[in-house]
Amino acid sequence: MGPTNGHNGIASKTNGYSKPHVNGSSKSPVLNGVDGLKLKKRDTSIRQVALPGSTLYDDSHVDREEYIRLVIQSLRDVGYIESAATLEAESGYTMETPEVSEFRRCILEADWSNAHAALVRLGATEEDELWDAKFLISQQKYLELLEAGRTTTALQVLRRELARLSTDPDQLHALSSLIMCSNPEDLRQRANWDGASGNSRRQLLLSLQTESMNAFPQVTTAILEVHTDEVWNIAWSHSGNYLASVGRDKTAIIWRVEYDKDPSTRELSPQIILREHMFSVGCVAWSLDDSILLTASENIIKLWNSKTGVCKETLTQHTDVVAALTWLPDNSGFISGGLDRKIIFWDSNGRSVHTWTPCPVRVTDLAVMPDMTRLIVVGMYETSPTVPVGTTTPPEGGPPANAKPSSENRAIVYDLATKEPEMFIPLEGELSSVKVSGDSKYALINRAPASDSEPPSEIHLWDLETERLVKKYVGHKQSRHVIRSCFGGVDGAFIASGSEDGIIYVWHRDSGTLLEALTGHGAGSVNSVAWNPRNERMFASCSDDKTIRIWEAPPSTAAHPNSRIAEYALPELENGKGKGRERWDGYRAGSGSDVGASSIAL
Amino acid sequence: MGMSYRRYLNGARIYGCSNCKTHLAAIHTMISRAFNGQHGRAYLFEVVVNVIEGEPVDRVMTTGNHTVRDIYCCKCGETLGWKYIKAYEATQKYKEGKYILERNLLVDVQ
Ligand SMILES: [Zn+2]
Repeated sequence: MGPTNGHNGIASKTNGYSKPHVNGSSKSPVLNGVDGLKLKKRDTSIRQVALPGSTLYDDSHVDREEYIRLVIQSLRDVGYIESAATLEAESGYTMETPEVSEFRRCILEADWSNAHAALVRLGATEEDELWDAKFLISQQKYLELLEAGRTTTALQVLRRELARLSTDPDQLHALSSLIMCSNPEDLRQRANWDGASGNSRRQLLLSLQTESMNAFPQVTTAILEVHTDEVWNIAWSHSGNYLASVGRDKTAIIWRVEYDKDPSTRELSPQIILREHMFSVGCVAWSLDDSILLTASENIIKLWNSKTGVCKETLTQHTDVVAALTWLPDNSGFISGGLDRKIIFWDSNGRSVHTWTPCPVRVTDLAVMPDMTRLIVVGMYETSPTVPVGTTTPPEGGPPANAKPSSENRAIVYDLATKEPEMFIPLEGELSSVKVSGDSKYALINRAPASDSEPPSEIHLWDLETERLVKKYVGHKQSRHVIRSCFGGVDGAFIASGSEDGIIYVWHRDSGTLLEALTGHGAGSVNSVAWNPRNERMFASCSDDKTIRIWEAPPSTAAHPNSRIAEYALPELENGKGKGRERWDGYRAGSGSDVGASSIAL
Repeated sequence: MGMSYRRYLNGARIYGCSNCKTHLAAIHTMISRAFNGQHGRAYLFEVVVNVIEGEPVDRVMTTGNHTVRDIYCCKCGETLGWKYIKAYEATQKYKEGKYILERNLLVDVQ
């Protein structure tokens, strides 16, 4: 490994936010500016067009900025880079987050003192990557100081920064030997580095983006195929070693997933199949110590010994569908919520402690803050059909054509101790999922339009301290189905959601930028996504296609020059094998553009 | 198809499946109480939810020939009545797209 750009040289398509499913020339929000530099100089004669208002058309609900950003991203994805750049210029909507812009500025302007902080704010890196990235930045700083003849300062960087960040004595030795270079030209040649005025900063930027890419789960490392019908919900054990899945086939399955092992050798198999439910199973939750698994089907809750698969209790106090189960963070028991408007507190043996009834809404999901202060409940919209004018008839199975949303507030934040409502969140449409962030600050709510006149499906991020809507995530599809979302990554920096178009969408939480649209699942909805609680580089998704997919970051062996992220090889699975294991097939070297959805269609 | 919940209605009076209590129709969308089904009195509704529709069949009724689809409770599968697809008599056209629920198969629900 040479002293400069040691990690990967000029990686062509590498960063955490490229979309593996699109063919060829996927460009990403983060890389965009860099590519701009590498490609032709952008035509600066394009003037920004000033438009009034914020919607796409006067009479539409479509947010213009969100829409245009998606168009830009789509153009970029298929390779229309110049068109995307032109649209960016005309609209003024660049695809970069402020964090990314700041980071780019730090590197390109050699603002080293702020670069480390900017790097941390990108949010996508975990500790190892962060150290590697800091090393690369300090290395650039060191070389630039040497080039400028500021040897004393360069030596300080070597001792105070590089020596601490480096894990390779040879590498450090090679760097320190550069002090002996007689002149800048000699330095550049021996370091194989083209200097502060050359391309070195841009190459550094690419290397750093590769670092953050390695942290992002974007490849399928396993497909779990045992369910015989749609898989509706999944939950990771707190240990991160087990995944429970439930669905339309009336079963719950506990899978062992050794999250900390290499994908090619880890154990990954169904441990227990729980078959006692009479109807489809939609709810699943683990106890804090993972010894108990809770499932719910129709109005029945079951407590299972998660090791033996023995059903310990069958709870029948609910009189209608149980739609939500959550274990209490203080381990005192769990809470269930149902379409019967009941919220029931249970102890850990399944004895009901308190029934909170009637709740103003039919509960479709609930979540308890990790700090035990609050309970957030979302509920169902009740149709109040009116006699239609004319000959309109309701679509089969769908909502009555002229149904009016009721005006009640269907997202309610309760004080958990007093059980009094603290806050009503005004939301229209169907609410199918609520999650809370690990720091108890945010609530994430999926809302789908209940009628055509409402805005399209969105996921809302509510700041519960300031009681404000802070972000909306759009792009996914949700109409009549229960679609669930989650927080993910380091400090919950990402938002992921299932979608009725079979794609998994991942956004940057703070900027709202769509980072990924991961394909791979077959026909139907991706119903739920769940981030592994112990491995920030792993999440799972479940789908109508009867499978669960495990998504992970590519191995940290880093990309070779000119390599692209390859999908894991996905051979045809043998039916009835009861086990779905895929092996990592390594990077596909070269400039192959055939990786992506088409190559993994099963 | 994905996971979805059954629909819930609100209104002054809600009729549900007598077998499983699934919401079916609200009283304010009732058009007529003067119908007869296979089990006696039946109601004609503008809107019915949570039912699965069977295949269209032609059926001769006291008011003439109709194309109808039987309707089944989406939870328990009980046959609850039918939906009028087409009425061949001009005077009966108003029934097209409307639903018959048999009174004896209904129960008040909340
Ligand atoms: Zn029924």
